[in-house]
Amino acid sequence: MKPTAIALATAAMLTAVPAMAEDLVLSIGSRGYGPAVERNLARYAEVNPDVSIEWNKVSDVPGETRKLYVTGLSAKSPTPDVYALDVIWAGEFAQRGWLEPLGGLLADETIAAFNPSLLTASTVDGKVHALPLYTDGIHFFYRSDLLEKYGLDVPKTWEEVLEASKTITEGEKNPQFYGFVSMWAKIEGLFMNWLAFTNGNGGGFYDADGNVAVNSPANIAATQYMVDLLHEHRYAPDSILNMRPDDARTLFQQGRAAFLMVQGFVHAPLSADDSPVAGKFDFARIPYFEGNEDANTTTMGGWFLGINPNSENKEAAAEFLTHFTAYEQQLTAAVEDNRAPTIPAVYDDPKMSEAEVLAKFGKNYDLGVVRPSAGTGSNYPKVSEIMQLAVTNALHRQKTVEDALNDAQAEIEAVLAD
Amino acid sequence: MTTSVTSPLDRRRHLTGMAFVTPTLLVITAILVYPILQSIVLSFGTSSLDGSEPYQFVGLKHYAALAQTERFWNALGVTLTFTALSIPLELIMGIGLAVLLNESFRGKGIARLAVLFPWALPTALNTLMWRWMYNTDYGLFNAVALQSGVVDRPINWLGDETLAMLSMVVVAVWKTSSFMALIILAGLQSIPRELYEAGRMDGMTRWQEFREITLPLLKGPILVALIIRSMDALRTFELPFNLTDGGPVTATESLSLYAYKVMFDFIEFNFGAAIVVVQFLVIFAMSLIYILTLRNKD
Repeated sequence: MKPTAIALATAAMLTAVPAMAEDLVLSIGSRGYGPAVERNLARYAEVNPDVSIEWNKVSDVPGETRKLYVTGLSAKSPTPDVYALDVIWAGEFAQRGWLEPLGGLLADETIAAFNPSLLTASTVDGKVHALPLYTDGIHFFYRSDLLEKYGLDVPKTWEEVLEASKTITEGEKNPQFYGFVSMWAKIEGLFMNWLAFTNGNGGGFYDADGNVAVNSPANIAATQYMVDLLHEHRYAPDSILNMRPDDARTLFQQGRAAFLMVQGFVHAPLSADDSPVAGKFDFARIPYFEGNEDANTTTMGGWFLGINPNSENKEAAAEFLTHFTAYEQQLTAAVEDNRAPTIPAVYDDPKMSEAEVLAKFGKNYDLGVVRPSAGTGSNYPKVSEIMQLAVTNALHRQKTVEDALNDAQAEIEAVLAD
Repeated sequence: MTTSVTSPLDRRRHLTGMAFVTPTLLVITAILVYPILQSIVLSFGTSSLDGSEPYQFVGLKHYAALAQTERFWNALGVTLTFTALSIPLELIMGIGLAVLLNESFRGKGIARLAVLFPWALPTALNTLMWRWMYNTDYGLFNAVALQSGVVDRPINWLGDETLAMLSMVVVAVWKTSSFMALIILAGLQSIPRELYEAGRMDGMTRWQEFREITLPLLKGPILVALIIRSMDALRTFELPFNLTDGGPVTATESLSLYAYKVMFDFIEFNFGAAIVVVQFLVIFAMSLIYILTLRNKD
């Protein structure tokens, strides 16, 4: 303990109102943010010894935690006071009144320091309802040794990805080797993928006026590219349609794919000592379609921290939230635990040289895009399901791309009008 | 019965009996009857989770919407197909296993234990194991198929609509045949040896013994096993949830899985309750059919 901290702690103890110890309950999993939770709690206890925090270790399986929150928050339970939530729940929970707007509780400049793309995910009716704690986005991993072997540059556009896949798969002469793998099972990851592809073609979920436009020509073309990559060019394995992030990562790690498009967390296992591709891969931003260099193609996920509106101690909760997500805490979590900061300024900190990979991820996050969970609010789960089904139908060629996206557009309009 | 409680002693006995039974009845009412009624009530109205909006009766609105929902009919079809494919196979396997285990041979105890193993393990765990074996790119089945030269492209077991359903049936049969076998084995052991001895004296073959003695006397246990397993199959959840998550597209999405998604992903408890009530009726009808067809022949 630093002397200043001891002094502060002593001062706090002496000045604290006796017998009015404040108790807060924090709900967060034990794996997602890893050792950072414990460290942050210890740091907070040093400066706020009169506030005791009870850590409610919720499941790290998002679905289970969501169920727990849905039951507790809908019953207006006053605990937890502060809780961690998936980026895609923020809009829905805010709309259902399960998150306290942070405007009145936190300083404006505190909120303004965070990544603006991520903040949009918890902004409902113009109010920020939760702060991003850490993020993870999808990146484009490639086999640097193979690109070198065939004298290829790192593909920047999807057109170049096709060419590079052709050269490498033809050169490798292995029927079990594929150009491109990703998470195209019917999961949230597929929707993230679709947003990366369509945004990279100047499209996206919304048009420029903010209207839902999933069947725009740009989106149809980008989705058609996904279908063709699989069925016409056959650069992706059939099994890509049941792949979750780790399935795709495993294939890439076995040296059986040239390109991999999943979240950044795969970097650690890929570069582990016993990994066959350690030292033979690198990553870049998600490609774009020719002429769309400025497109935001890094679909971002991550976890937020928010305050329960029924908490009996919102001021203390807000103070705790501010401390927990602050610059210093994010910097340590980045350097020591490899958790990507959500305050862009952290990436420029000199200490970030100790976390090279994260620093490079950070550049991609400047090109961030989030799922439309804030705009669709409590309808987001349905909207996501509609989109996952539509893209799956197209990828399985159960419907043409145009039909699938037209149907999705109509269904989403009906859901949002309801 | 009314006469039996007229004397004071009898009356006291009767009251004591009631006193013993009442707590159990109350618990059963609380944990069984109340949720069932609540589901039915929910399915006929609209209400908010937190009770901020009062319950409103809407009649058959959710059921009418259900009839218009393609995905519901798909889930019903998937559930019935899965049941129709898996139950007969389980029954045949179950009878076979039971007859086998009823014979005396060395290591019978171990064999009985081994057969029970798949059933004793949690479905979720088994299913994840099978998912690995089915994996297209590094699963056991494709490794064997590719190396033996049976196929030259990996088979996409869980990514093809028909194969995914069949793969799911295989896991169910592997897992629950032993349960059928266990119940049928108990039935087998209650058949008196004398019947077989008499049959042998009359010159019956082993097959005739099986058809004329074993099978008719197994009707009771088979009925019980069929009803329990069909109910299970009609509410199957962990299996598709862990094996395919209902995919590809919705080819293996059972009624339970669909209801779960409607309730917990979309948070539409009233609509979800309607699905559950329909499922309840299907299971009820199925049980009735079994009981009537198998009992009438007696």
